Amino acid sequence: MKSSSPSLLKATFAIVRKDLAAEFRSFELISAMLIFSLLVIIIFNFALELDIKTREAVNAGVLWTTFAFAGTLGLNRSMSVEKDRGCMDGLLLAPVDRSAIYFGKALSNLAFMVIVEAIVLPVYSMLYNVNLFRIDLLAVIILGSIGYTAVGTLLATMSVQTRMREVLLPILLFPIAIPVLLAAVKASGGLLAGSTFAEIMTPFNLLVVYDVIFIAIAFMVFDFVVEE
Amino acid sequence: MFLLETTPDTSGYMILGYSVFFITMTIYIASLYIRNRNLKRDLEMLESIQAEEAKPKKKK
Amino acid sequence: MQPRPIALKILDFVSVILLAISTYLALFFAPTELVMGEVQRVFYFHIGTAWVGLLGFVIAAIAGIAYLVTKNMLWDRFELAAVEVSTVFFFITIALGSIWARPAWNTWWTWDPRLTTAAITELIYVAYFMLRQGIEEPEKRARFGAVYTLLGGISAPITFMVIRLFRSIHPVVIGAANASQEKMSMTSDMKTAFFFALFAFTVIFIDMIWHRLRLSSLEEKVEQLKLNSLM
Repeated sequence: MKSSSPSLLKATFAIVRKDLAAEFRSFELISAMLIFSLLVIIIFNFALELDIKTREAVNAGVLWTTFAFAGTLGLNRSMSVEKDRGCMDGLLLAPVDRSAIYFGKALSNLAFMVIVEAIVLPVYSMLYNVNLFRIDLLAVIILGSIGYTAVGTLLATMSVQTRMREVLLPILLFPIAIPVLLAAVKASGGLLAGSTFAEIMTPFNLLVVYDVIFIAIAFMVFDFVVEE
Repeated sequence: MFLLETTPDTSGYMILGYSVFFITMTIYIASLYIRNRNLKRDLEMLESIQAEEAKPKKKK
Repeated sequence: MQPRPIALKILDFVSVILLAISTYLALFFAPTELVMGEVQRVFYFHIGTAWVGLLGFVIAAIAGIAYLVTKNMLWDRFELAAVEVSTVFFFITIALGSIWARPAWNTWWTWDPRLTTAAITELIYVAYFMLRQGIEEPEKRARFGAVYTLLGGISAPITFMVIRLFRSIHPVVIGAANASQEKMSMTSDMKTAFFFALFAFTVIFIDMIWHRLRLSSLEEKVEQLKLNSLM
């Protein structure tokens, strides 16, 4: 069996390709996440009275809250689609390593999140006249998104199999994801306040550490959450 | 600086703290007790049902 | 269900006695702290409950791993018992800390690393109960529960480290690396009350876990019988 099964990498990318192809046909998920993000930003605008002074201090926080909320929306949708259409069972029956399913789903969830961020960031820059296009800031955002989707994919796989389904994901995910969100907010906040890259090394390293640890853990335990 | 001040009277907070402790513990132990009692009742009921089904003539 | 075994009866008795002695030591034996006054006496139970709370979460994570490896339902029951009892104790820790903070720091709550991590940890384990509640099959419940306690057990210390980047006003009681750190100095009578509270709560914790385990096995029995009578 082992010799006939496709390699981990090949299987992973097959799943990513399937997800992206399905998404690019309808843009359901991305457009939902995007509209949701813009609405969150608008609500923040009024809730926090985002004038120039306060804005500088809270930009990073607003952005990450938006990404986290939109990310939850995307994760839920992407996993419940698999569950409802019976795709998950199909994937589990396929002669591929289970970790390929995890990496495939996590990568496509990451792709959705990054696409949404890639649209939200310029809009946010335009609305509030801050320059968010800096390579170090983008690195922080990507690293934060990786950590968030690594845990999120695992927990979403669990939550869609429970009775409470979508409601449960944020409750499970947010307390576990607090370190990555905090580190990301601290790193991006520092950068936006004009710190150099060397000055945000501590939260940046924490982001890397979190990503590595949680990808490894999720990879090890994913088998247990899809077992039938 | 602090040492020169007289010790503030904070015994109200102390009493509050220990009340919270004992009340919470009592509630939890009571919940263990009630859950235990309900389960025992369920168990007895289920056992009597099963006994009746198995041997309808014999009473247990 | 069998009546309480004799060992458990003895343990119950010992727990009550230890709790009584510990309360006496904390309330009457230990001297009044000069700066904070009487409220400092909640410290003994604050640390006692915090210690067993953390111990329980570590035990739960280990039991979770043991379940995933062995697939023995006993570990799942153990994990559930540890999390439940610890959640209760940790709730007390947070409540006592808050009550202590009001006169000492002049606020019910600060976003200090320890307080915040404690609150987040408590939320993780509340989420754990919600997760378990949403799953019917015992075997799946056990698997998901084990995975979640494992994630929580890893995430909580990282949360603590991350928040540590902010400054802390929480006194370091044990293992203060350098003397310059804000440290509460304890007299020897205070230390007696302190270490006795740690010991007493450890025994009480074991006693409560035992009771919770017995409750779980009763639950399992009832569930089994219900399934049988349905078939």
